[in-house]
Amino acid sequence: MAQPLVKKDDDRDDEAEYSPFLGIEKGAVLQEARVFNDPQLDARRCSQVITKLLYLLNQGETFTKIEATEVFFSVTKLFQSRDIGLRRMVYLMIKELSPSADEVIIVTSSLMKDMNSRTDMYRANAIRVLCRITDGTLLTQIERYLKQAIVDKNPVVASAALVSGIHLLQTNPEIVKRWSNEVQEAVQSRAALVQFHALALLHQIRQNDRLAVSKLVTSLTKGTVRSPLAQCLLIRYTSQVIRESGVNTQTGDRPFYDYLEGCLRHKAEMVIFEAARAITVLSGVTTRELTPAITVLQLFLSSSKPVLRFAAVRTLNKVAMTHPMAVTNCNIDMESLISDQNRSIATLAITTLLKTGNESSVDRLMKQITNFMSDIADEFKIVVVDAIRSLCLKFPLKYRSLMNFLSNILREEGGFEYKKAIVDSIVILIRDIPDAKESGLLHLCEFIEDCEFTYLSTQILHFLGNEGPKTSDPSKYIRYIYNRVILENATVRASAVSTLAKFGAMIDSLKPRIFILLRRCLFDNDDEVRDRATLYLNTLGGDGSVVETDKDVKEFLFGSLDIPLTNMETSLKNYIQNPSEEPFDINSVPKEVKSQPLVEKKAPGKKPTGLGAPPTGPTSTADTYERILSSIPEFTSFGKLFKSSAPVELTEAETEYAVNVVKHIFDRHVVFQYNCTNTIPEQLLENVFVIVDASEAEEFSEVGSKPLKSLPYDTPGQTFVAFEKPEGVPAVGKFSNMLRFTVKEVDTSTGEAEDDGVEDEYQLEDFEVVAADYMVKVGVSNFRNAWESMGPDFERIDEYGLGPRESLAEAVSTVINLLGMQPCEGTEVVPSNSRSHSCLLSGLYIGNMKVLVRLSFGIDASKEVAMKLAVRSEDENVSDTIHDIVASG
Amino acid sequence: MLLAVLIANSEGNILVERFNGVPAEERLHWRSFLVKLGADNLKGVKNEELLVASHKSVFIVYTVLGDVSIFVVGKDEYDELALAEAIFVITSALKDVCGKPPTERLFLDKYGKICLCLDEIVWKGLLENTDKERIKRLVRLKPPTEF
Repeated sequence: MAQPLVKKDDDRDDEAEYSPFLGIEKGAVLQEARVFNDPQLDARRCSQVITKLLYLLNQGETFTKIEATEVFFSVTKLFQSRDIGLRRMVYLMIKELSPSADEVIIVTSSLMKDMNSRTDMYRANAIRVLCRITDGTLLTQIERYLKQAIVDKNPVVASAALVSGIHLLQTNPEIVKRWSNEVQEAVQSRAALVQFHALALLHQIRQNDRLAVSKLVTSLTKGTVRSPLAQCLLIRYTSQVIRESGVNTQTGDRPFYDYLEGCLRHKAEMVIFEAARAITVLSGVTTRELTPAITVLQLFLSSSKPVLRFAAVRTLNKVAMTHPMAVTNCNIDMESLISDQNRSIATLAITTLLKTGNESSVDRLMKQITNFMSDIADEFKIVVVDAIRSLCLKFPLKYRSLMNFLSNILREEGGFEYKKAIVDSIVILIRDIPDAKESGLLHLCEFIEDCEFTYLSTQILHFLGNEGPKTSDPSKYIRYIYNRVILENATVRASAVSTLAKFGAMIDSLKPRIFILLRRCLFDNDDEVRDRATLYLNTLGGDGSVVETDKDVKEFLFGSLDIPLTNMETSLKNYIQNPSEEPFDINSVPKEVKSQPLVEKKAPGKKPTGLGAPPTGPTSTADTYERILSSIPEFTSFGKLFKSSAPVELTEAETEYAVNVVKHIFDRHVVFQYNCTNTIPEQLLENVFVIVDASEAEEFSEVGSKPLKSLPYDTPGQTFVAFEKPEGVPAVGKFSNMLRFTVKEVDTSTGEAEDDGVEDEYQLEDFEVVAADYMVKVGVSNFRNAWESMGPDFERIDEYGLGPRESLAEAVSTVINLLGMQPCEGTEVVPSNSRSHSCLLSGLYIGNMKVLVRLSFGIDASKEVAMKLAVRSEDENVSDTIHDIVASG
Repeated sequence: MLLAVLIANSEGNILVERFNGVPAEERLHWRSFLVKLGADNLKGVKNEELLVASHKSVFIVYTVLGDVSIFVVGKDEYDELALAEAIFVITSALKDVCGKPPTERLFLDKYGKICLCLDEIVWKGLLENTDKERIKRLVRLKPPTEF
């Protein structure tokens, strides 16, 4: 019995030894390639050599320019052979070598000959090769043949030409666009794949022509689409048309919805999913529209195929972000996916459940997740941590169990990115949920006692220095901080010294003890640590007496460096390169923030490695805006920035110039920041500014502007216009805008612009300053407590009829958007079919006035909505203003 | 875009690696990422059973066929379902060329044919042919039967 087994093993060894590519070596294969030059071609041998070359290339091996040229020239000789198998290999080899423009000429005549060959397959392949290696000039020569090929009877030839068209559209759009009649004809083809490729190409050619796309969709949704792949494309294009056309306001029907709904019953799963996804992303989708899509997705949750389960849970996960209530029906199926072998599916299920769960289910979920966390990879854990952070912000009362969960996983094994995600989350929770501060800080302190990541330790120490002194018992943190001075590396020690100094500066009673610790640091063996200790001892007044710290010193310790670090780096490098007697002057560093390139190069699959977060957590856009505005001298007198709006688009997508505006609100001023992007490579715009017509905004008067010197292609820049308005008044109005600039032609080959330019202007859309712009969304952890402690002194209550509405949910979200306040405790979500709803809102009104709002809604059978609005605030005028906003909205 | 098709042997050595629109400096990263993914999850998986993973906006569908593991990576319109379709075409073509789920040896023996099949299936990141019978004819420069 043993013998056959041994024999089998022997066989295996033999097999491995006989690998046809064993010991393959590039130099030897290149030598072998000389057989291509033989006068008597051995087709079989040539095919074998090409296979070896392909093997090398597929292993990631590269040929030098000379090697590639040599092989390419030899391969072209193989066109002499009539062997069909070899010819097919030659086509592939030429594509793989992708010869340079000056070499292509050698092979074009052979390929042109094949392109007109009677053998269809020669034609198809020659088209593919030519299109791969061709440039614009050659393309015009062969355009005629390609147009014929698109409508060729042989589907392989037609597909070859169409797919070539899709690739060529990127490099030679003007030529490919001329083929639209032929492509249109191919869309009607009876061959399934030809139709698929033609549809893709036709849409790409016409994607900017809304009417044409709409017509295409209308005709095809009524006609026949032959393959599931084409059907998926059609659904995607339909979804685009729906997005651009909106709901029919008279009947309330959505165009093409019936088509999408019909696709949910298609026999191909791919089509069903595409339709379900299209329905879930419809803007303002109603529960009635959503239900059939959710139902089919729910069925797929228990499919035996991982791909289908994954697709279903991924889609539902997205739906849960916008319509959590619609997904709750799937929760039971979703819970069973937590134990799915495929970790991607399990993670998506968990994060979906975290989004759809209600306050009462949090504890049960956390229990399930704890078991789950131990056996998934860091990248999945990060997703879960992010979801838990959002959950905690949604249900602040649950912070205790969620914070405990975070601190537990912080103690377990994990890589840097994972630990950083946890620390960032705890930092954010501490900031947003005041009650969570003390316990959160202690968790962080315990973490740095045994933290292997220098970056995280320094980040936490910095945060501790800012927040620790403001707690009820700051002295308890000192031990953790000073331990760092004893136990850690120099970077962390230096950081700990700074943190100690901050405690000393803020808490006078701790000062003498802090001085003792700082003096010990004077004997550290690292220069930086000693320097910092000396500096702080001197700035804080090192005699150890209990005196109040100077305001300037506090500013020095806690103030941020208001210079962009990249500018600082550049200035310092310049200073070092040009040695001078003068000391470096920090005031010489420009404060203007350099604009970022439009498209950041994305590395697919790569984990984010950049440590984007500054020491106190992720940079908020507000911080960035504040920095940009404070760097402009004209605006520095406006005081503290109260609020910056989200960008409002002032141009349509895909126009020559893309412009959006951000509204910055100050006490007595507003500043409009126009973010401009030039999307034309052949143009350089100079002296760019916006002419604002404020005739429909009477209370505003223009006080200044800052033009943009230069706006090169693809590099966004900003221009600003500032207005004065009455203090404390929520002035509203409409603004019309015209972009003015000098345009200069750019030679794209050299990148140089011409000296002379032409003045031009470009009409932008109007935008409005509305009441919600004067409100900042600030949540409270416990609305009831906040409401009670605010007291009824300035309470104003009134009732409003909102008229007939689409649904209760729509009415609630309209009022929330009108007021621009933060919904609390998840009350923005209206359960489906409910007849009444209460919503709690909180915010900070201009002048830093806290405002709390209680909304009670009711809807009757005729969809008439009534609302009771109760406002409490710190000022009666503010309470009245809230009512005014609602009354006039 | 179909970003990559990668075929490896059971030890994680690369047999075929075709990238589309992935910068050269990121390919090595992809290679090791996929091989690790396979090593972690493909043990004991049945032939042609599809596994799926995603990272950010990129999807990966992968499977085993005989001695080789096959990975396809895509983004945007090439989501997990389109990739499942693509990998189905690839596995059927492979079985067709090799006559059965291939051993590594058999795979290498048929290497040239396999490259031609892949060339017919994916062209610079777009799915071109999906029918194995047609592909079988096309690699021999024969027109499709239905024509």
